Amino acid sequence: MPKYKTGPLKCWNKAKELRQKYYEDYVSAPKSGALRIGGSAWAFSAVPEGLGDVRWLTGEPYGASCAFDRKFSLSCLEAAEKKGYARDLCAYMRNYWGSILIDQYAFGGGFPKPDFFWTSHICCSHAKWYQVAGELEGGTPCYAVDVSVGPYTQITPHGVAYVVGQLQDGIAWMEKLTKRRYDDARLIEAVITETEAMSLWAKICMLNRNVPAPLDEKTMYALYVFGVIMKHRPEVLALYRELHDEVKERVERGIAACANESKRLISDTQPPWGFLDVFRHMETYGAVSIGSLYTFGLAGMWDFPDGTMVPKATPRQLGQTPRTREEALEAIVRWTLCRPEYQHFYNPGLKTDLMMRIIRDWKVDGALLHYNRGCEGLSLGIAQNRMELAAAGVPVSVFEGNMGDEREFDHARTLERIDSFLETLGLRKVEV
Amino acid sequence: MLSCGIDVGARTVKVVVLENGRIRGRAIRVAGLQVEDDVAAALKEAAAGEVRTIVATGSGREAVKEARQRPTGITCAARGIHFLLPEARMVIDVGAEEGRAIQCEGGRALNFAVNEKCAAGAGTFIETMSRTLEIAVDGFGPLALQSTKLVPMNAQCAVFAESEVVSLIHEKTPKQDIARAVCDAMAGRIGSMCRRLAITPPVALVGGVAKNTAFVRALENDLKTDLTIPPDAEYVSAIGAALIAAEEH
Amino acid sequence: MDFETFRRHGRGRHDYARDWKKRTGGKVVGTFCTYVPEEILAAGGVLPVRILGSHEPADDAEPYVFGMFCPFSRDCISQAIRGRYDYLDGTVLAQTCLHIRNTFWSWQKVNPGRFHYYMCFPIKVQSPRAVDYATGEMRAFRAAFEKWLGRPLADAQIRDAIRVCDENRALLEEIYGLRKDPHPPLTGREAMEMVLAGQLMDKREHNQLLRQALAALRTRRLERDPGVRLMIVGSEDDDTEFIGTTEELGCTIVVDEHCTGTRYFLNRTPDDPDPMRALARRYVGKPPCPSRDWDARTRTDRTLQLARDYNVQGALLVQQKFCDPHELDIPAIKSTLERNGIPTLFLEFDVTIPFGQFRTRIEAFLEMIRAEALF
Repeated sequence: MPKYKTGPLKCWNKAKELRQKYYEDYVSAPKSGALRIGGSAWAFSAVPEGLGDVRWLTGEPYGASCAFDRKFSLSCLEAAEKKGYARDLCAYMRNYWGSILIDQYAFGGGFPKPDFFWTSHICCSHAKWYQVAGELEGGTPCYAVDVSVGPYTQITPHGVAYVVGQLQDGIAWMEKLTKRRYDDARLIEAVITETEAMSLWAKICMLNRNVPAPLDEKTMYALYVFGVIMKHRPEVLALYRELHDEVKERVERGIAACANESKRLISDTQPPWGFLDVFRHMETYGAVSIGSLYTFGLAGMWDFPDGTMVPKATPRQLGQTPRTREEALEAIVRWTLCRPEYQHFYNPGLKTDLMMRIIRDWKVDGALLHYNRGCEGLSLGIAQNRMELAAAGVPVSVFEGNMGDEREFDHARTLERIDSFLETLGLRKVEV
Repeated sequence: MLSCGIDVGARTVKVVVLENGRIRGRAIRVAGLQVEDDVAAALKEAAAGEVRTIVATGSGREAVKEARQRPTGITCAARGIHFLLPEARMVIDVGAEEGRAIQCEGGRALNFAVNEKCAAGAGTFIETMSRTLEIAVDGFGPLALQSTKLVPMNAQCAVFAESEVVSLIHEKTPKQDIARAVCDAMAGRIGSMCRRLAITPPVALVGGVAKNTAFVRALENDLKTDLTIPPDAEYVSAIGAALIAAEEH
Repeated sequence: MDFETFRRHGRGRHDYARDWKKRTGGKVVGTFCTYVPEEILAAGGVLPVRILGSHEPADDAEPYVFGMFCPFSRDCISQAIRGRYDYLDGTVLAQTCLHIRNTFWSWQKVNPGRFHYYMCFPIKVQSPRAVDYATGEMRAFRAAFEKWLGRPLADAQIRDAIRVCDENRALLEEIYGLRKDPHPPLTGREAMEMVLAGQLMDKREHNQLLRQALAALRTRRLERDPGVRLMIVGSEDDDTEFIGTTEELGCTIVVDEHCTGTRYFLNRTPDDPDPMRALARRYVGKPPCPSRDWDARTRTDRTLQLARDYNVQGALLVQQKFCDPHELDIPAIKSTLERNGIPTLFLEFDVTIPFGQFRTRIEAFLEMIRAEALF
């Protein structure tokens, strides 16, 4: 007899269609006179919106999509290696480069080249990723914005000015390159939408404080992605509104993601995308991953009062709705610098602190950290996080893998390790 | 009442039969391609005919269809060590492919660490190196103990370490010094994995590599603690599984 | 002048620093990455020393670092764990690659409670906004440092330190220039020992040694045959043993493109009424590490230019295992050099090096270059 009621998400298909449309729209952009832009999902995506109709292909989610299709991914990875790129580089990046090299798009057809790259740089790879991609494509122009100006606790005026200045230069660069006139009103609207959407995703994550959790992390992966690939778009805001209402209703009606939820876990860093079944496997023990700083903090934006975290107050809620280009750029810069997933780049201790907030407030029993060989950026300081969580008395275990290179993931051994961890938490597999 | 634990590992199948809390039978078989056959043969050898409850563990535990439960090797090793050496608070298990350290108390695993990919294969590495140095695996430890010279070897990655061994051979480094360097390097790797947990004596060492005396000494030096190698060390997980099976009655 | 002095100070770096503390009564601060403005530290009477590894197995670093971080970053953590740098009064990191950031934080776990400063140096040094930002960060660092010292620094002290550091750079550049000679008066190993010593010593004392060395080198003639002229390009590299053993195979390393070599000293501080801005301009304008070399890729042309200036016949491309920034540049550098007739040999470095295997590859590489030179 299951402990809790479960049920599928009603907006699931809508989300699936929206994602499919995103990748198709990118291909068809030239037909409707739209520009194609490539770059990191961490980019200031609201900014090129001022150019008019633009369609995005964000590199990391694209790399994850490749990884999901293991055979396709392998041909990409091998093509990148053949070209001389090391196997330990970012797996998303190698999937992306490989797609250029074999001229195949993971969603069918040849690989669609962008008009230009617009990206942000915080790990060692971001700007270099598109530098190389541009070279492989025979000279696609690239503009990268350095956002590494310190943690959310120490945002300085000269740091904000540096990033805003780069965005202003970037707008001039885009205007010159595309010969389009830049429309500040579109920028302002995109900034407002982005802040609303990201705050709303955080609000959805808040609902997962409930026992039983209405969402499990595997499901969240399919939903958080919109806050990454098109966070500034009104259709995402609309989807998140619908999702929020539905999840709220699940909480009210006691509908769980996992029928036998008895231990609540968090994960860390990107999962091995080709092997999401590890999450379903955990559920056979009654363990559910209720999220992570990754799923909460990549698409969601937060305020951090008094040892806790709450959805970040948007400029609109604060009565500071931007009215000019300068105000909009400053608003989005200040907003973005608070991204939870940026903080460990300056100090892994800040990340441990944020993880501890989740552990306390979301009633978490243990942490399962993915030592992700595919992303040194999000793995930075993870050993320190492990030590600090353990020192705080949190049961913590690690497994090694790769988000986008299946050759580095040992499925059987990982399951074995997860089983061992769940057993130390006192769980037993429900034998069927 | 008879209960049985089966540990289906990468290399071997081990069976232990318990009767009223005492070992009545045991068997070890090399695991071939048809694991089910090896399990059946080992069960027969261990005289497990009247066994009522079976619990299977190890990486191949799914192959034991009649198992009542299939807990992991970590849980079983913690149980098993409590039977063999009740005072142990930590078990280090170094096998062919994987090294692991388990903190335990009263038969329960409290925390554990398993080596990362880059530091995998301690046992296999020593085997390969004994072939490269043309000495028997059994002779590897005694030879290494004859060494008087410390040769630093970086062993974060077995592939790199192997190149270093080749370099040492070319430089005409005496075999015993190379053998010691290999043991020291492996001990360094396993030791650092253990240090991810707190080192809590008494510490038991099990697994095939425990038979290598030079490795044991190196690991003792590295961890700055004595290691106890219990009798029947290779059966520790099978014993743990059998104990869990006994509870099922 | 005896090049042994540089070697001695390099090998006995900890003795040197402890002795320096004793005789000057000053403090010593460790630096991570060549973007730390040593001038500010020196202006406060503090000895900056670059934190380097010791090329011994670094297993003890394991709990602090994930397996796929570079050997150099692990080796450095291991130094802290072993207490080799216990005399340091603090450390400063200028925001750099992720692996060294990890080391900086692990270091503090081992040595808590000292002056540890993380400086947000800009990564996009090509942005016209970078100098303003770096100036702000220089000021913030200066303020934190003054607070720790317990006294303010005068601009004049900073200008004086800039002068000393620039003299150091000029002397190094001049001595490096002598290696352009068909018969270089110093080996690559000696050059590396010389430039490394400067990152571990009081710059005034180093300058004095450099001036003596320069005078001596003008008439020095090495008995050895220089053989094939090589350059060495890539990651952090302080492996003088490797260079020395390589040079015994019939070649001379005549120039490097390392952050422990030319990238450390090849540019001067421009004149600026504000010394903080002057420093910002110098460091932003420094030959970049690959992690800062974007949007445009400039290291390819810079490396090619060095190869031409020093009349190089071949290049060793060395990379610390798992060093992403260099892995992102090496294919481009390799093809640029090879397109311009300079063959390359790629070598992946770990904490220790299996020289036996490297030897075979380097010998084959040298044979290939010699055979090419015959025709």
